[in-house]
Amino acid sequence: MKVQYKPKRNLLETIFQVEILQGMALTLRKMFSPPVTRQYPDEKPPMYPGFRGQHALVRDPVTNDSKCIGCMRCATVCPSRCIQIRYHDDERGKRFVDQYAIDVLRCVFCGYCVEVCPVGAVTMTEVFEYANYDRAAIHYDKGALLENWDNFIAQTGYDETYVNPFWRPRGIPASLLPASQRMNVPDDWTIKGQFVGTKVRQTQESDGSTHAEESNV
Amino acid sequence: MQILIIILQIAVLLAVVLLHVAYTTYFERKIIGHMQVRMGPMRVGWHGLLQPIADGIKSFFKEDIIPEQADKPLFLAAPVICLVAMLASLAVLPFAEGWALADINIGLLFIFAMSSLASYGIILAGWASNSKYTFLGGLRSMAQVISYEIPMGLSLVGVMMLSGSLNLTEIVTAQGTSIFSIYLFPQIIGFFVFFIAMLAETNRVPFDLPEAETELVSGYITEYSGMRYAMFFMAEYIGMMVMASIGTVCFLGGWNGPFAIPFFPPFWFILKVYGFLFLFIWIRATLPRYRYDQLMALGWKLLIPLALLNIFLTGLFKILVH
Repeated sequence: MKVQYKPKRNLLETIFQVEILQGMALTLRKMFSPPVTRQYPDEKPPMYPGFRGQHALVRDPVTNDSKCIGCMRCATVCPSRCIQIRYHDDERGKRFVDQYAIDVLRCVFCGYCVEVCPVGAVTMTEVFEYANYDRAAIHYDKGALLENWDNFIAQTGYDETYVNPFWRPRGIPASLLPASQRMNVPDDWTIKGQFVGTKVRQTQESDGSTHAEESNV
Repeated sequence: MQILIIILQIAVLLAVVLLHVAYTTYFERKIIGHMQVRMGPMRVGWHGLLQPIADGIKSFFKEDIIPEQADKPLFLAAPVICLVAMLASLAVLPFAEGWALADINIGLLFIFAMSSLASYGIILAGWASNSKYTFLGGLRSMAQVISYEIPMGLSLVGVMMLSGSLNLTEIVTAQGTSIFSIYLFPQIIGFFVFFIAMLAETNRVPFDLPEAETELVSGYITEYSGMRYAMFFMAEYIGMMVMASIGTVCFLGGWNGPFAIPFFPPFWFILKVYGFLFLFIWIRATLPRYRYDQLMALGWKLLIPLALLNIFLTGLFKILVH
């Protein structure tokens, strides 16, 4: 293939420098088109499902406390080890969560803790404006995390069933998910609609067809 | 008494021109912003209208840094030379019938002299800063000014031949009041050469090699800061306005328009100058910078022969008519 870097022009086009005039016409046209700028502090960006913002502990309206049962799954799965949980068991074996802290400065925002939580206690809100001059202020303890949740639902009007479909592990049938994450999701989050490799697709089609229907329930 | 009146006129002209400089920077940022589908300054005042004032206050109170190895007297003098030369050329511009501060007979020559002097400021700034970037910027400016002064002067020879005068007021009156008798039509080649040379003279895109920020940091003004930097900036914008005024006077019929505006005779003149300034900004938003050898080739191989051809044709035309 021959690349022609300089298109041929006839004499008239050379005299009037057509390319320059074309460029000028383009810029003039663009001058009257609406700008794409978003005036950020006045104009907030739209939020999309799957946004992984500030961490929060969902406040259970019944107990007025966190839903956390101290199973330690989130602390175990966390790749950056930024979740610290302290608990004690009473004599009857009931577990009490004493402290639940997330060091946001170490968090990599992978969302695994939310995916793995069996009761939907820890979640990531759509809040993203929580920068601070003080490091200690973004090391959230349990009280701060519950407060984050209160602020979030006050701002946006969600309730404690706020579940983001993006935090649900993909390819797992709904029957195996914790109750809080067993909700209707968009089609592309079911097994059928997912973008997966050929091999996964083949195994799913051979034995997982019932799962695919299940996950839509 | 006469002197007092002249001083008052000078003060008014200076105030008006400097205000125009401030708001030309604002409109430049706004227009380029919108051409690039952005918004430009928006936060200082309504739609950023107070931005140039904020910029002015900022640059006035900024620290004036002089490099240790700089040639101090020249470093201090360079922006002053630039600004004074540009301001001096404002004196001979006829904004309307009898609205020139100094209606001298060598008006056009005076403007050429002053715009060449201003480039001394740029070259001295480049030399005195004792930095490689400013030095390269100064060198480029020198070569560019020498190359483009010639076609610019030659392109206006046609105008001088037609009007038979170097006095700017007489050039305007020689064009008559009709829109069809302006020199743009008989001198279309001259206007073309003049327009390109004008862009190069004022160091504007696409000929902004002396301050090419993508290669030379900021060219000859790299080492300047605060008010001295602002003086170079003002000189550049006043240069733009002076060149736009020369284009208006010599090719577009000066203050004459389709109909006379009562109480404000320079209306059409100012409108035409604004048109030129918009063209400057529009070109800046569109065109990339010329390469150095392309700049030289354009000046010497195209513009000078064209300008000479224009002089020849104008002379032939004059002989044939009379």
